[in-house]
Amino acid sequence: MPHLTSFARNQWYVAAYTYEVGRELLGRTVLGEPLVLYRSEEDGAAVALSDRCVHRRFPLSESRLDGDRIVCGYHGFTYDTTGTCVYVPGQKRIPRTARVASYPVVERDLFVWVWVGDPALADPEAVPRAPHMDSPDWTTVSGMEPIDADYGLLVDNLLDLSHETYLHGGYIGTPEVAETPIATEVDEGAGIVRVSRHMDDAECPPFYARSTGIEGRITRWQDIEYHAPCLYLLHSRIAPTGVLPEADGSDPNAFHTEITYAITPSGDGKVYDFWAVSRDFARSDDEVSTFLRDFNHTVVMQDVDALNLLQKTLASERTGYQELSINIDTGGLAARRILARLVEEGDKPMEKVR
Amino acid sequence: MTGPTGEIYRVDWLPGTDVLHGTCHCGAEHTAQDPVAMWEWMLAHPEGHEPRAAGQGQHRSRQGNGGVLGSRGKRS
Repeated sequence: MPHLTSFARNQWYVAAYTYEVGRELLGRTVLGEPLVLYRSEEDGAAVALSDRCVHRRFPLSESRLDGDRIVCGYHGFTYDTTGTCVYVPGQKRIPRTARVASYPVVERDLFVWVWVGDPALADPEAVPRAPHMDSPDWTTVSGMEPIDADYGLLVDNLLDLSHETYLHGGYIGTPEVAETPIATEVDEGAGIVRVSRHMDDAECPPFYARSTGIEGRITRWQDIEYHAPCLYLLHSRIAPTGVLPEADGSDPNAFHTEITYAITPSGDGKVYDFWAVSRDFARSDDEVSTFLRDFNHTVVMQDVDALNLLQKTLASERTGYQELSINIDTGGLAARRILARLVEEGDKPMEKVR
Repeated sequence: MTGPTGEIYRVDWLPGTDVLHGTCHCGAEHTAQDPVAMWEWMLAHPEGHEPRAAGQGQHRSRQGNGGVLGSRGKRS
């Protein structure tokens, strides 16, 4: 039977990067809901509508824009940015119910966030932050890969970085990652899972050696901050062994990267893997940007291949299966539980379950 | 760091061992060698959660050296 984690509705999810939404209609499916995204000429705002014409369900993303209106490619039904149908062919009267759903949108930190659920519950202040994604103090490279796997598998993957040693060995993985204990903290009310792994003395993997120029061993700190369900932040500190932050809290002798993921379920067994690497060093060095983009893309594809395979494998288990957890899974298990609570709360949004 | 409700669960992994050390938001502590058992104890709060008796052994501090994170210059 296929491995399927239920979706947590009434949440914000990343549908696209801001730079992906322009005057070309973009189709994305989030939590099983097909969306069409574009950017308004009039005010430059991103618009997200249901990607199905009310008439005969033709995808509006395969149609065209006329100013800020979408003209369905099949029979010309025309919608404005609120999803209201403003023209139907052949007649003056537009049926009262002719409208497509319009989704609340917030553009923040290079992401286009879309609320999936009851629009009346959408609170823009609840969008989790990743300010380094769009900051003069950081240089960011980014991309997205669709994975044919249940989104829960991607959460499992990101909450346990010991897999770097094995799946990404020689890229971002070294022996020390899997061997170093983690500290896990769960902020139950805020729905945040933190996992920390601080390596005092580790090999420097090519991902960091070639971007920072560090030769020799390093102190390597990984601090995960997962804002269930969608936003995952990995605060990464790299420095030559023994180099620590200053007493006043500044940290001028270390290299900092922020590895950001947005985990957006697309449909059953499908997830969008938005990935980004932001750095506070060599910020204007295009060669470093190219290297980090290509190298991280390679690492992401290692995950994509592994999770595509794992999804197929789990789907072939006809009568279910057992899992075995060890200490490295402490954070991942907490994340699963938080997600299960959000799924339950999302299905009855007026009544928060404790 | 506390969030809006202050319910923080913490599980440390003692260096050089296979031992997990959990602390519930109520202050109760527990050791286990299996994360499933640890979370079961944690989420059973308040069942099985004895407050630490005053004067009972050495107070275990979450901050400072000696914890699993060593010297931790925490970035905000």
